[in-house]
Amino acid sequence: MKKASFLRTASVLLFSVALLFGCSSGGGSGSGTPAASNGGATTGAPQKDQLVIAVNENFITMDPQNTGDALSSGVQSAMFEGLLIYDKDLKLMPGLSTEYSVNKDATEYTFKLRQNVKFHDGTPFNAEAVKINFDRMSNKDNNLRAYRNYKYIKSTEVVDEHTVKVTLNQPFSAMINKFTTGIISPAALEKYGKDITKNPVGTGPYKFVEWVQGDHLTVELNPDHWNKGAAKVGKIVYKPVPENGSRVAMLKTGEADVIYPLPEQQVETLNGEEGVKVERTPSTITRYVSINMLKKPFDDPRVRQAINHAVDKDAFIKVVKSGYGAQLESVMSPTIAHYAKQGTYEYNIEKAKQLLKEAGYENGFTTDIWGNTNSDTMKGMQFIQQQLQKVGITVEVKSMEEATLSDEIYGIKSPEEAKMNMWYVSWSSADPDNAMRSLFSSENFPPAGANTAFYKNDLVDQSIKEATQSSDQDKQKQLYGVVQENVFKDAPWIFLAVDEILYGKRANVNGVYITPSGGIYVREAAFQ
Amino acid sequence: MFRYIVKRLIEIIPIIFVVSLLIFFFIHLVPGDPVRLAAGKEATLEEIERVRQELGLDKPLLTQYINYMQNLLTGNLGHSLKTGLPISDMFENRFSVTMTLTFMSLGWALVLGLLIGTISAVFRNKWPDYVGMLTAISGISLPGFWLGLILIQVFSVTLGWFPTGGVDSWKSYVLPSLTLGAGIMSMLARFTRSSLLETLKEDFIRTGRAKGLKESVVVRKHALKNSMIPVVTIAGLQFGFLLGGSVVVETVFSIPGMGRLLIDSIAFRDYPVVQAVILLFSLEFILVNLLVDILYKALNPKIRYDS
Amino acid sequence: MEVVKEIGHNVVVPTEKKSRAREFWKKWKKQKTAFWAGFFILFLFVIALFGPWIAPYDPYEPNYDVTLQTPSIEHWAGTDEYGRDILSRIIVGTGISLGVSFSSVLVGAVVGTILGLISGYYGGWMDRLIMRWSDVMFAFPDLLLAIAIVAILGPGLTNVVVAVAVFSIPSFARLIRGNTLAAKEAVFVEAARSMGAKSSRIMFRHIFPETVSSMIVFFSMRIGTSILAASSLSFLGLGAAPESPDWGAMLSMGRDYLATSPHVVIIPGIAIFLTVLAFNLVGDGLRDILDPKTKN
Repeated sequence: MKKASFLRTASVLLFSVALLFGCSSGGGSGSGTPAASNGGATTGAPQKDQLVIAVNENFITMDPQNTGDALSSGVQSAMFEGLLIYDKDLKLMPGLSTEYSVNKDATEYTFKLRQNVKFHDGTPFNAEAVKINFDRMSNKDNNLRAYRNYKYIKSTEVVDEHTVKVTLNQPFSAMINKFTTGIISPAALEKYGKDITKNPVGTGPYKFVEWVQGDHLTVELNPDHWNKGAAKVGKIVYKPVPENGSRVAMLKTGEADVIYPLPEQQVETLNGEEGVKVERTPSTITRYVSINMLKKPFDDPRVRQAINHAVDKDAFIKVVKSGYGAQLESVMSPTIAHYAKQGTYEYNIEKAKQLLKEAGYENGFTTDIWGNTNSDTMKGMQFIQQQLQKVGITVEVKSMEEATLSDEIYGIKSPEEAKMNMWYVSWSSADPDNAMRSLFSSENFPPAGANTAFYKNDLVDQSIKEATQSSDQDKQKQLYGVVQENVFKDAPWIFLAVDEILYGKRANVNGVYITPSGGIYVREAAFQ
Repeated sequence: MFRYIVKRLIEIIPIIFVVSLLIFFFIHLVPGDPVRLAAGKEATLEEIERVRQELGLDKPLLTQYINYMQNLLTGNLGHSLKTGLPISDMFENRFSVTMTLTFMSLGWALVLGLLIGTISAVFRNKWPDYVGMLTAISGISLPGFWLGLILIQVFSVTLGWFPTGGVDSWKSYVLPSLTLGAGIMSMLARFTRSSLLETLKEDFIRTGRAKGLKESVVVRKHALKNSMIPVVTIAGLQFGFLLGGSVVVETVFSIPGMGRLLIDSIAFRDYPVVQAVILLFSLEFILVNLLVDILYKALNPKIRYDS
Repeated sequence: MEVVKEIGHNVVVPTEKKSRAREFWKKWKKQKTAFWAGFFILFLFVIALFGPWIAPYDPYEPNYDVTLQTPSIEHWAGTDEYGRDILSRIIVGTGISLGVSFSSVLVGAVVGTILGLISGYYGGWMDRLIMRWSDVMFAFPDLLLAIAIVAILGPGLTNVVVAVAVFSIPSFARLIRGNTLAAKEAVFVEAARSMGAKSSRIMFRHIFPETVSSMIVFFSMRIGTSILAASSLSFLGLGAAPESPDWGAMLSMGRDYLATSPHVVIIPGIAIFLTVLAFNLVGDGLRDILDPKTKN
């Protein structure tokens, strides 16, 4: 209690405080500072040469052949190219091949390869490199995501240095879209093995610099690219910024040059903001409620149609999507090939009540709707709840974490076991096969696939099958038209909306686009 | 004292063991299947089984636990189910970032908390007390994510003084550590005040005053020290909340730290990463509390550690 | 009768209680801020009880024509993204917020206090067991614990109470233990012990009162913390159903509109802020009065 003990106490306290500050400054110096120079006030500075793109999630992998999320592939598209590539409007265009041909049955694909192309590590790009990549993906034991599409490949032949012939083990017309998967340097595959996911080496307009886990990924201009000069920005930094408000703030302050996604509710705050531009593009994302057709009362088509009539789609877009989006007038987005417009279920409460009465549910019923815990999803589910209340259907909103939800929906043993009644969800696809076969073919009932409405229609099954077996575009169009017409009529979903892609950029940024499927297109990136 | 510390350090081993056991079975109890998420929406049953095998999740839980512990004892944290990267790689940058953030928050919370608390106690029921306590109480009355968003709006967007997020320089840590430390600062201020007031009523303080010592001397020399016990306890307790709070703050300010990694990993049911992060958090927390207990002893020699 | 009681020997206990209550009230009135804060809490309880009858609009009824309107004469606190009246939702939500936070902290305090007393008083292996257990509990970030509890039990308000209570327990246990350790050494406890008092009697008669002041302060803080914790759970989509007018749910659902329609976020924020503030002020006031040393 005397002087000495007070001094001791004081010194302990002082020491611990000093320790705290000591630690903090020590730790701070450890973290990198690559984007520090990219402040808002760059007008007077020398030519700006670094583009910062802020996105909402972390990247998972840089192996383009083992990627499942749109964001990772968006970043990869700067570094990798496939034999074909998607342009900013999702049209196929020549990439590492200059031309190709397909036989009538859609079983043989022959590619003429682009000449004088080198990978970032100097390895020449040739037919052998393509074969190594295709063999990697079509080998089941490698367990890559791309195997899902490349399992159809029976063999890949090197015809000559710059020609490759791919033979499928069954007709598959949608295969052409899958040749957009990025080609990796064979030397790098050899060198890094499984670590290729951290060391991407491709042929694209940008080459890999660094990936600081969780913080950012940097690429720099590839001076030897075959289409040199199209992209002009020297460096691109991709940053995951999950909080919507922070992303918008970064764009305003100039810390970010491009942000995606731009939340619908915040568009208004950017309108009229100097130096900032808001960009809108129709997307491939469809928003709907999947209805379990195996369960009562949803096994009755009149009930499903009644529900569709009971929901005001315009109000949905206004309230839930803050006015950005379009009504869903088929089973997929108009941006996808072979789209056939079907119209809408007119918003008509009387008609809905009438249909429910015919089906024997004059007094409505009680059910539930599932969805994940995103605030957008919860908003949408509440909207459905409010709308169906008006025709006497009481809906309980159940939001679950994504992992729990996907286990509940896909982790069932048999379709009859499914507990789901309605599921508020979205789907994004780049080609009609993925948009329809995955969701409406009866072979894809969970747990085997994503047909969560348990939709089964023999005509639809047959048409989808025929369409995958023909490379004739007119025939495909006709067959996919049949599918869309029938599914829309049978109403396995509440058809809600097609999302709009919204992104923001600084006014001095040119040539950076977000594609309808959420890809990040930087092949022509430049500053004004 | 030395023996006591050694003994406590040895006691950490079984705690960590129990924690690892608990987390392991706890997170496997939580519904959700990482294989489903890893394989994707369109995965076929065959693909799912293949992924499950590759990740080693097809084996019985007990076997998985034994494998996990074997790896852990050799210092191998394992690989992420989501990215396939070694967990030690994923920790490399994130750990120092989160440590910087938590210690910076605790640091300024301690300094300001003690200061406000002492001033409030000394000027009890005068205006500095009211101002101090109002500040303190405001700090714990606001949700963290809300405060963070508003700070960004004001200091980054409007005034442009600090970056909105990231960890590019010391400036990046200012707003997040303010957000994270606000609650603790308030608690420390309040506890310092109440504890000091209580001590000021003690007999030995009265004696001191009676002896004619100056009030400032009484406060500094006698009261402050004796009121430190609850304050130190609270500071130690709060460390756990700091780690938890880092989850929210790291999200709002886009800070690539352990908290955000934890949240992402929980969402994905990335078992090995969740286990590793929590194990690390636990270890840290236990060590800090050990430090608290030692300080306790230093501050109040009356407390015996005879057990 | 009253007079007789006051004089009589055998009725000392009720008299003491009565005069203590009177004394308390006298002191309480002097605590101006705490007095008014207490008044405010009383007011909140009235609103919580009669909310559904006071609310000017149906808090669940959407009106898509008046979405996101700023405060006006028709809607004093404006409307939310569905055009629902925010004031009505705040009023009806008072009951939810108070109910959840009170019940969870109460459960946490009771269990935690008992554990803390046992731990501090007996020491030895019981102390170590309880403290190591609380270390383990602390080592789990609240959020994970909450997610796990709610994931296993399913979402809903009851499970939120359980989740919040569970992570209150170790805090109370540690705090009470710290006080018990100090109080155990006090002269009057030593005296009671030497007179052969039973352990349980010493714990609850002599040591427990010593811990009350810190506990009350901490209890008042925990009310606030638990309102915030419950709102974080709602924020994660694991709390109250999204359509319910829970303040936390309103705050997190509204945060997408912070930049465009700030009132949607600010008003529930203020409701939370004022409530937590009131509880803390009352806690402080109570503490000053109930201090065991001034009482004796």
